[in-house]
Amino acid sequence: MPPPTRPPDAAHAAASGVSDRLRAAVTVALGVYLIGLVLALLGNGSSGASALVRTIKSRLYAPWLVPAWLDLGHDHHLTYGMPEDADHTLEVRATGDHKATPLRLPGRLTGERAARWRRLAAALAREGDDQAVALAAAVAAGSFDDLGSEDVMLRVLRRQLPDRRALPLPTGSSVVTSARVRRVGGELQLIKADPPGEVAPLVSPATQQPAADEATR
Amino acid sequence: MNGSASAGGTSPMSPIEATWTRFWFEPADPRPLALIRMATALLALVLLSSYSADLDTWFGPAGMIPADPAAAWRSPWGWSLFDLAGSSGSLRLLFIITAVVLMLLGVGLATPVVSLAAPIFWASLLHRGPMLAGPADDCVAVLLWCLAIAPSGAAWSLDRWFRGGPSPSPSIRSRIALGLIQVHAAAISLTSLLAQLKGDVWWDGTAAWWLAARADSRVVDLTGLFARSEYLCNLVTHGITLFEAVFAIGIWFTATQTTVARIGLVAWPLIGLLAGEPWWGVAMAIMCAGNAHAPSPDAR
Repeated sequence: MPPPTRPPDAAHAAASGVSDRLRAAVTVALGVYLIGLVLALLGNGSSGASALVRTIKSRLYAPWLVPAWLDLGHDHHLTYGMPEDADHTLEVRATGDHKATPLRLPGRLTGERAARWRRLAAALAREGDDQAVALAAAVAAGSFDDLGSEDVMLRVLRRQLPDRRALPLPTGSSVVTSARVRRVGGELQLIKADPPGEVAPLVSPATQQPAADEATR
Repeated sequence: MNGSASAGGTSPMSPIEATWTRFWFEPADPRPLALIRMATALLALVLLSSYSADLDTWFGPAGMIPADPAAAWRSPWGWSLFDLAGSSGSLRLLFIITAVVLMLLGVGLATPVVSLAAPIFWASLLHRGPMLAGPADDCVAVLLWCLAIAPSGAAWSLDRWFRGGPSPSPSIRSRIALGLIQVHAAAISLTSLLAQLKGDVWWDGTAAWWLAARADSRVVDLTGLFARSEYLCNLVTHGITLFEAVFAIGIWFTATQTTVARIGLVAWPLIGLLAGEPWWGVAMAIMCAGNAHAPSPDAR
């Protein structure tokens, strides 16, 4: 906040268009919101939050900050250089049909549309998360019509982050999530497969192009 | 104590109270807010358009993100108008309404109504698929709520054009909205900086490389430059953290805030480009707009 560069009476005169009572009410409202903002920042950080902060936030602020999409941590670390910070791709193909073109997203899409697909793929790659498993089943089921099959393999691929000294830069990917999803008797089943963990064969940009062409929807 | 009489002439005002009063209650020119309104609406429309082609694929009746998994993904307090869409038609209708509301906000028509409707529809869309939302979406939500409490249609709007009359006068609601945007801009800069400083790559100067090395999401390919010069990579990395620190602090001081905000108009989009989140950079630049104009001699 700027330091007072003018005498206090000037500030008071500047705000004299509003009654003391209204100013007091707005001050209280602002104070309540600013406390909520601080709690949201503290409570949504990647390091976690104390039980006290979580309790106060969830009881007093979450009921109105969450619906407004204002319960945000805003802690954009941009990158830690870790594998999780790499780009993620979603791939779905009919089980056993290795000749069919897989659904690969975002494929050749660009811009914010592609970024949303990458965020979805990264969300599916969250380990030990039941919500991610349920979402993976739903995403796979959503592709049944496109693939013409109710038995599909879903994989999340993670692009390799090359070291600065590794020239020419490798362009491989590794499988971080793999699951078979099928509908049997109207019920959706997800069978997790252990990700092989191996890095996919290195693909040069020239050989990568045809695959990318197939991936567009 | 340097106090003064209040309006009623009875209670003194402390320097802290005077600073608070000046920051939140000194009437402000509504034109910067009108500029923020137009830019925010335009950015929101760009981000909204990224949903358009995949709307049915994601949220349709047979889509990849049905309402139940989406609801499990968000807080129990989260809700979405888009959950009510049971068919592709109703989903598309809600989407079109959202687009129309944002367009009306952009041109400033029926501003008091659409400025309140816009954040409600925007938050609803984000709640429908929380895992798809990015940092630019978050910033737009903040900006839209700030605009909702302000007379953002008082200048440079169709409302104003139809109404006519004298130039819009400074208002306290404009000041509160601009103050909240400033608070959020500083908070985002500070929390981003603190989050970055938890990672070794922001200390050893290689973060810029790891951002540039993301082959799919990067907007510009700077790997060649960074591979040739480690110092350049270090300079960009440290430059980002230094700018965020200077922004988070400098935006609060009269002597520096205009300069810092003007630098932010350029620096945030550049950081966004390097980070592969260009629209986040644009959203942060919009947040600087309120402080980027030179204050009138009697305003500060």
